[in-house]
Amino acid sequence: MAIVKLNVIDLEKSEYKGGKSSLCPGCGHDQISNVIIQAAWENGLPPEGIAKMSGIGCSSKTPAYFLGKSHGFNTVHGRMPSVTTGANMVNKDLAFIAVSGDGDTASIGMGQFVHAIRRNLDMVYIIENNGVYGLTKGQYSATVEKGSKKKKGSINSQNPIDLCAMALNLGCGFVARSFSGSKKQLTALIRAAMSHKGMAIIDVISPCVTFANNDESYKSYNYVKENDEVLHIVDYISHYSPIEEVDIPEGQYREIELFDGSKIILETIGSNHDTTNVVSALAAVHEAEKNDKHVTGLLYYNGSIPTTTETLGLTDTPLSQLNEEEGRPNEQSLVKVNARFRGS
Amino acid sequence: MNSNVNNFVINIATANGTGSQSSNLIILHTMFEMGIPVSGKNLFPSNISGLPTWFIIRASEAGYQAPGDKTDIQIIMNKDTWAKDVAALESGTIIIYNEDVKLPIEREDCLAFGMPMTKMARKINPKMAKLMANMYYVGGLAHILGINVDDVIKAVESQFKGKEKAIEMNMQAINEGIAFAAENWNIETEFKAESRTKNPDTFLIEGNEATALGSVYGGINMLSWYPITPSSSVAEGIIKWLPELRTAKDGGITCAVIQAEDELAAAGMVLGAGWAGGRGMTCTSGPGISLMSEFIGLSYFAEVPGVIWDVNRVGPSTGLPTRTQQGDLSMLYEASHGDTQHIVLIPGTVDECFEFGWRAFDYAEKYQTMIFGFSDLDLGMNRWPTEGFVYPETKMDRGKLIRNQKELDAVPNYGRYRDVDGDGIPYRTLPGSGIDPILYRGTGHDEDGIYSEDPIVYQKTMERLKRKIDGSRDDLPAPILREEERKELGIIFYGSMENTIKEIDDILESKGLSVSTCRVRALPYHSEVESFISRHNQNIVLEMNRDGQLFGILRKELPTSLLGKLHSVAYSDGMPPRARLYSEKIVNVLEEM
Ligand SMILES: Cc1ncc(C[n+]2csc(CCOP(=O)(O)OP(=O)(O)O)c2C)c(N)n1
Ligand code: SF4
Ligand SMILES: [Mg+2]
Repeated sequence: MAIVKLNVIDLEKSEYKGGKSSLCPGCGHDQISNVIIQAAWENGLPPEGIAKMSGIGCSSKTPAYFLGKSHGFNTVHGRMPSVTTGANMVNKDLAFIAVSGDGDTASIGMGQFVHAIRRNLDMVYIIENNGVYGLTKGQYSATVEKGSKKKKGSINSQNPIDLCAMALNLGCGFVARSFSGSKKQLTALIRAAMSHKGMAIIDVISPCVTFANNDESYKSYNYVKENDEVLHIVDYISHYSPIEEVDIPEGQYREIELFDGSKIILETIGSNHDTTNVVSALAAVHEAEKNDKHVTGLLYYNGSIPTTTETLGLTDTPLSQLNEEEGRPNEQSLVKVNARFRGS
Repeated sequence: MNSNVNNFVINIATANGTGSQSSNLIILHTMFEMGIPVSGKNLFPSNISGLPTWFIIRASEAGYQAPGDKTDIQIIMNKDTWAKDVAALESGTIIIYNEDVKLPIEREDCLAFGMPMTKMARKINPKMAKLMANMYYVGGLAHILGINVDDVIKAVESQFKGKEKAIEMNMQAINEGIAFAAENWNIETEFKAESRTKNPDTFLIEGNEATALGSVYGGINMLSWYPITPSSSVAEGIIKWLPELRTAKDGGITCAVIQAEDELAAAGMVLGAGWAGGRGMTCTSGPGISLMSEFIGLSYFAEVPGVIWDVNRVGPSTGLPTRTQQGDLSMLYEASHGDTQHIVLIPGTVDECFEFGWRAFDYAEKYQTMIFGFSDLDLGMNRWPTEGFVYPETKMDRGKLIRNQKELDAVPNYGRYRDVDGDGIPYRTLPGSGIDPILYRGTGHDEDGIYSEDPIVYQKTMERLKRKIDGSRDDLPAPILREEERKELGIIFYGSMENTIKEIDDILESKGLSVSTCRVRALPYHSEVESFISRHNQNIVLEMNRDGQLFGILRKELPTSLLGKLHSVAYSDGMPPRARLYSEKIVNVLEEM
């Protein structure tokens, strides 16, 4: 008899799966969906406590393909952050896991992306970044690198918008970049993001096999594999007994404790990246860009920024769960209000 | 009986940012507290300081609230509009002016009285002379109208609540104004303000503040907003009342407030809140609705509750940002692409602003869709009388909300979008509950919420949505009918036109017409609107826009047999409706029939 693995809340991994994907076979987005399933399962998140959010695009379709036991909202193009904001305001206990595309975030949704970070909304915000608009058949997006070329069409000559650099500049407390093909790194980062309180931005390079997986495309599998500048080896240690054993590295490493007590271990390789220093994080991003490389890993971490709901001074019960007595002032109060207007 | 007692129109011409609003409100509140039926309108520019502003105060024993068609007493403080204001006056108008502006009043046919208002004010407080000068016309006016200074004090005190020094200074200015007028103005006029018994319950309040309070009593949980005249004071009103009225036992607030980055985001937040089981709302004006359109369609199609208040200003585009209109109605009713139809609540009084303020949330959850409150600048930003707000008479209606497995099991053949009860309204569950977790979407979906492009599935969904909203008609606020025995002419109108309809009606009746009126208070329109139309020989749809927007909606939805009796009078120039103007237009249309 095969032994079925259960997570800390006694659920099988299958409880975290979603519907069958309709994306092109080999699409990076499907790899990310699998990692989200893995991460949520390993972290033992109760599926009913998760809210899946997305905008519009191939990437934004994926909530249908993961976490089938969780409610979700596939909203409109570029506006996922605002819908998440409203939902978060009335139910701060939900764990928001959002996916968006580079078109969805860096063009039509740029304003909402920026303001959600500024508010430090409590959510995991994953950008499935392929440098093109997959769903509308492969037009360039604003994150495509200068000099990169998709399968059809000419070389892109405009500067890219780097979403990690933006998030860093906006004071985001958790900023990471990864690659859909780096399963181990991505899993650790998403698990860490799930353990973080506040906005966690993970920009994941996710090749579009149909429109931009040619070698001249800087976001193709081959290109990323060859030009991935890994900042450190990321390991995640959960605050309860983990499903997988984690080896504590023998060399130099940094340890970060997350909001729920879990930890990430960053094993130094090459330069010793300081995740508490936003300037070196920005330098790493810009340096890589200059050399046509991708820097991946945890760029920046600061767990002490208050979230939106914390700063608003809300009552402890999620607002959507208040009963009539708590949501509507009593009759006597209106008598007083009227009297005040009457000047008596 | 002297018909000039409590029957006159005062027009006060000032520049904005000069503090004249305090003086104007003091005059308004003084007369109101004297029990005189009075109304005030602020015609202000889209600007913070220095542009012309007019404040019109009308006293009317008949209770007419529209600005009158002619000015009886003109107060002139603003040099920029001086010549034009003076030239526009009818013969015999009383003019009170600030001598220190040093501009001529060349109107032998009028009665002009000057006062060195700035000079006098400078003596009290040189730094605040510009502001204080306005208090002198309050004094001058009190003298002319025979208003007792004791009646003024009360209004000054409530205007400068608790600020002793300000009360004292302003009263000194007013008293000096009265004394100056008594000594220097040789005036005999029949315009008098006479005290009446005032209903002690009544007070004046802006529609927006009433809407704000109504929302607070409606259990609003999330307010998202982006500032825009004339709706900002709805949001500011809510924010102001939250600490007192919506603080929970643990000291936390029960409503989150987010100043959004734009109206798109504000609308998205409303949907997010509604989807997660809260009562979300935003307030805006026409430009904001234009931006929100995509989300409004999502709310309609994915069936997510929410509330949006539109305080109408003059469009199209940025239009006349500080003037009033009923130009957004058809946009609200059919906002967003594809076939849509939205419930619109249309208050015509401050009492209804309050009532629809709380009811909107119940309708939103009952029908699982976006509900619009439709007010306008005139109703929202001017002060109107009420006898006091009435506490919600019904419990909160959360609609067909399934909160636990037991409730789910009680619904036979449940599916998120299945019409189990035959009323077009499905049941819904909430994120966080773990019950029927589905992915909400704006794409085509079947009765279980699963993605579908099936033609029949799509067509049936759209047909059900139509049935759902159509089914709300007689559940929404019924029209207010004032009907004559002789069913000659019916006037169908809505919103802030309520404040002018009585005068229009009286003018038309004085011409021998028998006029019934029907104030529509919601869309889709109530079945009583249709029967009212069918009972009357001819009907006029009266509205403050160019194209006859309600007329268009009625024409589209009424049986063809009734269309011959339906006519449009639509006119908009940004000004609040003037009774004489609209009644003339009605007469013209009747003559053409
Ligand atoms: C308002 C609006 N404009 C345009 C579109 C068409 N559209 C759908 S997806 C998309 C781009 C998606 O690109 P991206 O976010 O990068 O997602 P990908 O498909 O690449 O994963 C566009 C432009 C839309 N759905 N809505
Ligand atoms: S078009 Fe590109 S992004 Fe879309 S599913 Fe196919 S491979 Fe993925
Ligand atoms: Mg893309």
